[in-house]
Amino acid sequence: MNLPTIDARPYAWPFDGRWSPRDTALVVIDMQTDFLKAGGYCDQMGLDIGLTASAIEPTVRVLARMRALGFTIVHTREGHRADLSDLHDNKRWRSARIGAEIGCAGPCGRLLTRGEPGWDIVPEVYPSPGEPIVDKPGKGSFHATDFELILKQRGIRNLIFAGVTSDCCVHTTMTNANDRGYECLMLADGSAALETRNHDMIVAITTKLGGQFGAVATADEVLAALDD
Amino acid sequence: MFAQVAGIYPWPYDGTWAPESAALVVVDMQRDFVDPTGWLGQIGADTAPLSGIVPAVAELIALARAAGIFIVYTVEAHRPDLSDLPANKRWRAERLGHPIGAQGPLGRHLVQGEAGAAIVPTLAPSAGAPVVAKPGKSAFLGSDFDQILRRRGIRNLILAGVTTDGAVQCTLRDANDRGYECLIVTDATASDSLSHHDDQIHTLALAGGHYGSIARLADLRVALASKVAA
Repeated sequence: MNLPTIDARPYAWPFDGRWSPRDTALVVIDMQTDFLKAGGYCDQMGLDIGLTASAIEPTVRVLARMRALGFTIVHTREGHRADLSDLHDNKRWRSARIGAEIGCAGPCGRLLTRGEPGWDIVPEVYPSPGEPIVDKPGKGSFHATDFELILKQRGIRNLIFAGVTSDCCVHTTMTNANDRGYECLMLADGSAALETRNHDMIVAITTKLGGQFGAVATADEVLAALDD
Repeated sequence: MFAQVAGIYPWPYDGTWAPESAALVVVDMQRDFVDPTGWLGQIGADTAPLSGIVPAVAELIALARAAGIFIVYTVEAHRPDLSDLPANKRWRAERLGHPIGAQGPLGRHLVQGEAGAAIVPTLAPSAGAPVVAKPGKSAFLGSDFDQILRRRGIRNLILAGVTTDGAVQCTLRDANDRGYECLIVTDATASDSLSHHDDQIHTLALAGGHYGSIARLADLRVALASKVAA
């Protein structure tokens, strides 16, 4: 049984009308203290975490509903091994240059380092037991991870994206997924960037050319399709 | 060895650089996108900003050739039987009225071997220069792009071409995740939308340049003119 399509832009999603809890996953990207809360990596860089935190509430609502309906929920976290053996030299250099060197101590533990308080997912959207968490060393979730293996094992073909940041890990993963043939939807309000301009640009370039990377809808639009 | 390029941070991050460790990646400067009669023009997008960077890309190619920097070209093009075309990508182009694989003024849209998939004549690759046909936006997906770079020991990538908000940024993002040290040449890249180009460059410059450095052609010209001792 397919669910009603979502009233998304630039087309009713998914393109072929085929979606259900069996073939669709919610991917919650990098909802970590390092990106959302005071003392984390972004806060240390002096960026506006008020904007990124705005993605939490809409994500909570979609997550709760999709979880209740039995959809696959996958969470990702950006972070490096404690010995930093998976950290490229240029990524480390860049983070040091702006005063937030990956692996160094901050108010929430070592920045972007696995196992540290700042690296973990915020309580509002914390994974339930059994929901896969993908730890990734880069922006894209497919690179150097088992993300795609997990999706294939479950027969997932449609992905709904929430999380942060819109222009970084959300967009990188969504474009990666789109290139691989997954049918993708970005939550307009369940994702956020560190600058409004960057979020708005991602929405614009995602929906242009007939939806070159997929479609965009709000949490309410997704929930409307799930409540029918 | 060359001096660092004066971008939003001095590139590459780790100092002077050798031409043999670098590659110029010329992204999708094919007639399907750049020529107004190609697929992108057919669906109603403005190709003028894309053709507008041809002289800058031509100069970049000439500079790279003179410096002994390896050049790789990409094109977005599918197999003639479309076996590498995802169903949703096919559907979206059909919905725009110009299906991938349908006949247009430049042959079948976005298909390998057709006139539209050829690099624009001004930028024609030298004999032996690899042209990577890719089915998606990123050059790393479904291609031998990474294999070609790694075999040569390439670690630094200079990116130019189209579109800034499409294949250029997708290739940049994947290259950066893989550890390549990347430089995007802003005035040798373009989008059909000037604001999408500017906004994309703006986001890539966040956090000091978290996908690599960003420079102008003139900055690269200066660096390539300044040979320094190893």
